[in-house]
Amino acid sequence: MLTNADFLALEGTAGNFTATINLRPRYIDADACTACGLCTQYCPKHHVDPYNEGLAITRPIHIDYAQAVPATYYIDPSSCLFLQHETCQICVPVCQSHAINFKQQPEERKLNIGAVILSPGFGKIDPKTLAKFSYGKHPDVVTSFEYERMTTASGPFMGEVKCFSDGRHPKRMAFIQCVGSRDIGCNNGYCSSVCCMYAIKEALVTKEHDPEVDITIYYMDIRTQGKDFDAARERAEAIGVKFVRAKVADVTPWENHLQLTYATLDGQHKFEPFDLVVLSVGLESPKDAQKIADITKIDLNKYDFCATDSFNPLQTSQQGIVVAGAFQGPKDIPESVTQSSAAASLAAASLKAVRGKGVEMKIYPEEQVVAADDEVRIGVFVCHCGINISSVVDCAAVANYAGDMKNVTFYTENLYSCSQDAQEVIKKKIKEHKLNRVVIAACSPRTHEPLFQETLRDAGLNRNLFEMVNIRDQCSWVHAGEPELATIKSKDLVRMAVAKARLIQPLPEQTVPVTAKALVIGAGVAGMTAALNLAEQGFDSVLIEKGDGIGGNLQNLHYTLAGDAVQSHLKTLVDKVKQSKKVDVLCNAELVQTAGFIGNFASVIASGKGKARVEQTVDHGVIIVATGGREHRPDKYLLGKSKKVVTQQELEKQLAGKAKTRAPGSIVMIQCAGSRGDDLNYCSKVCCNHALKNILKVKEINPDSQIVVLYRDMRTYGFAEDAYLEARKMGVVFIPYEVDLKPEVTEKGAKVQVRFFDSIMQEEVTMSPDLVALSVGIVPDDTDTLSKLLKLPVTANKFFLEAHVKLRPVELSVSGVYVCGLAHGPKPVDETIVQAQAAAAKAAIPLVKGYVKVDPIVSSVEQDKCIGCGLCVSLCPYGAIVMQKVDGKRKAETISASCKACGICAAHCPTFAISMGGFTNEQINSQIEAFGATGDR
Amino acid sequence: MADQQFNPSILGFLCNWCCYAAADAAGVSRFQYPPSMRTVRVMCTGRIDPAFVLRAFVEGADGIFSGG
Amino acid sequence: MGKAMNHREGSVMILGGGIAGIQAALDLTELGFYVYLVEKSPAVGGVMAQLDKTFPTNDCSL
Repeated sequence: MLTNADFLALEGTAGNFTATINLRPRYIDADACTACGLCTQYCPKHHVDPYNEGLAITRPIHIDYAQAVPATYYIDPSSCLFLQHETCQICVPVCQSHAINFKQQPEERKLNIGAVILSPGFGKIDPKTLAKFSYGKHPDVVTSFEYERMTTASGPFMGEVKCFSDGRHPKRMAFIQCVGSRDIGCNNGYCSSVCCMYAIKEALVTKEHDPEVDITIYYMDIRTQGKDFDAARERAEAIGVKFVRAKVADVTPWENHLQLTYATLDGQHKFEPFDLVVLSVGLESPKDAQKIADITKIDLNKYDFCATDSFNPLQTSQQGIVVAGAFQGPKDIPESVTQSSAAASLAAASLKAVRGKGVEMKIYPEEQVVAADDEVRIGVFVCHCGINISSVVDCAAVANYAGDMKNVTFYTENLYSCSQDAQEVIKKKIKEHKLNRVVIAACSPRTHEPLFQETLRDAGLNRNLFEMVNIRDQCSWVHAGEPELATIKSKDLVRMAVAKARLIQPLPEQTVPVTAKALVIGAGVAGMTAALNLAEQGFDSVLIEKGDGIGGNLQNLHYTLAGDAVQSHLKTLVDKVKQSKKVDVLCNAELVQTAGFIGNFASVIASGKGKARVEQTVDHGVIIVATGGREHRPDKYLLGKSKKVVTQQELEKQLAGKAKTRAPGSIVMIQCAGSRGDDLNYCSKVCCNHALKNILKVKEINPDSQIVVLYRDMRTYGFAEDAYLEARKMGVVFIPYEVDLKPEVTEKGAKVQVRFFDSIMQEEVTMSPDLVALSVGIVPDDTDTLSKLLKLPVTANKFFLEAHVKLRPVELSVSGVYVCGLAHGPKPVDETIVQAQAAAAKAAIPLVKGYVKVDPIVSSVEQDKCIGCGLCVSLCPYGAIVMQKVDGKRKAETISASCKACGICAAHCPTFAISMGGFTNEQINSQIEAFGATGDR
Repeated sequence: MADQQFNPSILGFLCNWCCYAAADAAGVSRFQYPPSMRTVRVMCTGRIDPAFVLRAFVEGADGIFSGG
Repeated sequence: MGKAMNHREGSVMILGGGIAGIQAALDLTELGFYVYLVEKSPAVGGVMAQLDKTFPTNDCSL
């Protein structure tokens, strides 16, 4: 990790680049700094804090936030008195660990690398663009980034929302969307794709703080096209956030208040007073985009983002250099995360030959032997979590209370137990006091247990000699008004944890080998891309397809919005798959049964037609689910009843054909036909772009064609906004309709009639177009069967549910199973390809390692006590217990890698022969006993 | 006794994957609830031996909460 | 000005230590490659570290 580093030059070619990096001095020795913060306290100079968007003052010597990595302070030379004027140097003697070093010089480094991933993020909109909304003129006009810091509990105002003008709590707030986006005035014609979501989030958070605040969001289109995002908009509406479709002309200061002038669709000008106005500012290309392009010789698009194409969405114009995140185009967190994994898989594939040569495995110190009869020495660490815990719970009292308990040899408090410096303290104390059990009273083990267990391993302790007490999520946060009772509860929980800690024992770390082969289900673009990427990384896969041939939905598409020819790309892809020696394709195939676990699956696959149908068993280590989706065909708007009503996909086919009349003279398009609360409860994401793609094609063939689009929100996010603008320039008419006032399509003789309410003219209109094209949305192909077969959860809309929507977007809840493409949710082809590459990256991880670790919390059978009744075998929901003959007697045995730690076996064993690692009967009973021992708190 | 508010002592067994996660979510969204429950985390409510429940009553619990 | 040459076979440079760069670094490390994560500011984390909650689940961002 090289921070404070500038990228200066890049030479060489793919596989053998030399990068020149300049490391700017921190003026603080990273190894010596303990992040104690004393220097910041003593530093006399003020420094505007960019981390807090300039809303707070810090000092030139500081750290951005407590959990920063690396946890080393730094001196900002722009305002340091010594570095500017050679005076002061107060910090030097203040620092107890002598970490401050003004002699540090910039250091130039040359890195020899095989591949480059560009992920420089995004830039911010120039304040000049914001000036027309009185930004900079009136203190109560803030950007969404500033507002984000205002609502943050650990931010400069501890989450309290106030007007800067006079400190009052705002009663009326407005969000203005598309500031610096969809605005050719500032040369940002594209849509930033994230602002609608964060505005809704910030509105929801504000309402949570103060339900009385009146919030209005002024928008052109609400673009919540992501998976399950529409639901959040509905939630916001349900709790009273107002959405007004209007263009805001300006914001005028009006004493301490602000007046908004806006124009609604029907041409009316209106005024509205507000206390606080938040500008939903867009994402720009990074400031140094041009510099990066100059150094790397990659091409940029007209908005200075990295130029890529639909079928190679992450490949820059230079071999060996790939892009990920917002630099490829504005995008949200899950899509950035997906792109990063995908970029990793591309880099990994290009460097397959040298895989593993540059890495050193992390070596842990040898594990200290902790025998059952060793003296128990417990260390208790109570975390303040900044003020998240300590503002409610009396942490000192809790720590002191723990200190009085039997076997507690050491106790202390930490400001942030999770910070890097606190980790060092914990390691030091473990060694110093010969601790052999650690109890940390902080936040949730669900998020932080792995981090602390790593600390234990670093200190030479088995990671299971650890117990966590959740005094934040279960005490300070939920009993904020009752500090005394929250403190008592914290003490009780600590007492119970210490009681359990006395009995915990080290658990062995186990690993099982992996079959280095993947099963990919579904041979559409997602499945094919994933299988090919795995092949490029050096792994075999079996690609099964239920249809007669491979290709999937791409077979129905002919061109993209960017104008790429789909069929030629598809042919290349199909040929590659067929020629690859590492991809075994089975058509007319389905999964019959799967047994096993990550690394060791055995699946029965039936393939072939009629008499040729055969079943075979395939051993594989991972599964990629790419079962796809299809066009939804709603039973409305005369679809299937009138020849003049077609879907966008049918129109596309017609346009790609040769018929003279393929681009009719008048077309009405109806968006959300079936989506967004009609038949389907969600937005299908691709339909607006699909409509535009067809519009441009129609106009190309027949420029005189008159097209009317009836829509709810045009969701041409990202660079597709350009096409939307182009269509409007060509005279295509876009008219929004309300969900309770849907257009009607009727047949009159040989004609079709469309009747709708024109919200611009404010009157009902009837048209008789030559053709009605419906944007119909996407449904997943059967997910039920696979969901049952592999025990995979699906969403209410029958798409597969990922393990974590933000941070693990292509993993499913069952280890070793990954998802991509339409089976995950509706998405266009470029996003599908990225997701498939990401799934391949995740799937390759266990294949590369060659082994998987088994979580130590598994059941174990004490065979002496087992009477062979088999109750556990019949109860285990995961098939993780088998009966075996041991010396002629039936005995139960756990398959550790299949065990999910539910403990049903242990709870039901009539002879108490089964124990759960980390959750033994003795341990749980000790907690219950300590629960009752309230007398000594 | 009659004029005193009943303040029960409750022991909760929370499944790591759902109810414990829900308790975390309650914290993150700052839902306020009475501080009368103490919790034991288990990896699944399947782990709860009926004997644990009886033991908790013996130790003075007024109620048992099992969330999974 | 000090100069140092780093030479490791099978290494990748990632420019930018925001959520995208960090995730790519983690995945590449697990896939068996050495990673140089080059970040211009003093700490990795990028914009996500500045966010309060995330849409639509309101999970903590840090």
